[in-house]
Amino acid sequence: MATISHFLLLFVGAALINNILLTRFIGLCSFFGISNSMNTAMGMSAAVIFVMMMASTTTWLVWKFLLFPLNLGEFLYIPAFILIIAALVQFVEMYLRKYSPALYRAMGIYLPLITTNCAVLAAATEVAKPGFFKMAMAYNYTLGEALVYALGVSVGYGFALLTFTALRERLDIAPVPRVLKGNPMSFITAGLLSLAYVGLAGWFGL
Amino acid sequence: MLLTVLKAMAALASLGVIAASMLALASWKFHVEVDPRVEAVASALPGANCGACGNPSCFAVAEAIVEGAMPVTACVAGGKSVAESIAALMGSGSCDIVAVVSVRHCGGGTAAARSYEYGGVQSCNAVSRLAGGALVCPAGCFGYGDCVCACPFDAMALDERGLPVIDIAKCTGCGICVRECPRGPIGLLQLVADDAPIAVRCNAHNKVKERKASCSACCIACKKCEKECPADAIHVIDMLAVVDYDKCTGCGTCVRVCPQNCIDLYAGASSGTHADGAGKDALAEPVAAGASVEG
Repeated sequence: MATISHFLLLFVGAALINNILLTRFIGLCSFFGISNSMNTAMGMSAAVIFVMMMASTTTWLVWKFLLFPLNLGEFLYIPAFILIIAALVQFVEMYLRKYSPALYRAMGIYLPLITTNCAVLAAATEVAKPGFFKMAMAYNYTLGEALVYALGVSVGYGFALLTFTALRERLDIAPVPRVLKGNPMSFITAGLLSLAYVGLAGWFGL
Repeated sequence: MLLTVLKAMAALASLGVIAASMLALASWKFHVEVDPRVEAVASALPGANCGACGNPSCFAVAEAIVEGAMPVTACVAGGKSVAESIAALMGSGSCDIVAVVSVRHCGGGTAAARSYEYGGVQSCNAVSRLAGGALVCPAGCFGYGDCVCACPFDAMALDERGLPVIDIAKCTGCGICVRECPRGPIGLLQLVADDAPIAVRCNAHNKVKERKASCSACCIACKKCEKECPADAIHVIDMLAVVDYDKCTGCGTCVRVCPQNCIDLYAGASSGTHADGAGKDALAEPVAAGASVEG
């Protein structure tokens, strides 16, 4: 099973076909909150990719070696995973501050903000807990698959966020009718963008 | 059942202990020496985390100032006194800074006509998105007080006319209300030097006829103030009275002659407290100087 095409399908499925923002509508607060300028969107995307990979690895390990063997996963996964993600983000922040001040400054305020991002919790839960989302892809991941899946989800997040930011930056200077200016136009744009992504459903049997 | 509860408690507790000890270890192992000047500068700042300077917190500004990325005058809200104490800490020389306060250029409020009944979210930013807002006047104050809510220094309040009044003693000139106001950065709310003696309570630029139909407190561009001003400091530009603060002496002649009562004494005026829109009364009976609450 573990061929290159399998991992590729997993990645494409997580990034595009089941895009976390535009087909599954998870993490929409940051989608609208920080899509005003390209710089902040880039910082946020990089931070999400980084944190999602780290968090998914950790939650996978905790599920595999703690929650599942003790038969506690069904009700304890949310508090346990939130605890892990919060502590992990704090730890990563301290580490970066000491050993990579440049990266620390580039990610800036977005690193601590991600602690409470629901997209991170969703991805970290999906890779660990089988059947969390009742989709064709929800099954028991190996660690390698979990990493590829988390990378796919976070890259998909970044891709959708950057697309939307670019559109919003152009809309700011476009002749939008007065009643639609600002948020209404952003919501319509997000809806159309979401329709475009939903159009990908079913590709490659995903 | 009890066993499951105990197992759950033990699992979560052990996770918590592991996370806590990991963080404790990290905070010791990855400890970064902070420049002591950062602490000193941070304590000299107001500490309201208002964000007017563009940084997320006062501590971030302190870091930026110590690194030299921002000038000692970076704190917009703190004004001259804060800038001077920071300059002393940083060992740099004097700092030129003009203290500013916010001023409202509208006297409409309940006197302004509405174009439709608005029953939505009670917020200026919300109503302004609905077909340009419920006011006929394109520049007037909606009166839902977004600026009042945004003010981190508690310096604004809505009066009975539904207009925000600024407590000049508390206003630091941080400009957050100006940014919050949907009427834009050079419209309704503006920043002026804190010794500006006169405020024009109108900023409409539409035709005078339309303006008069939509509001009883607007500037009608009659030019009386321009003709009477002994210092040549007030002019009707684009059908709207505008004060040149470099020339204005604060004599109050324009306030006296304005037939619409839309020119007011403001922050630097010697007569102190006054009700805006009733500028003449304020001139006739000056209240004790030093009181600084705008009517």
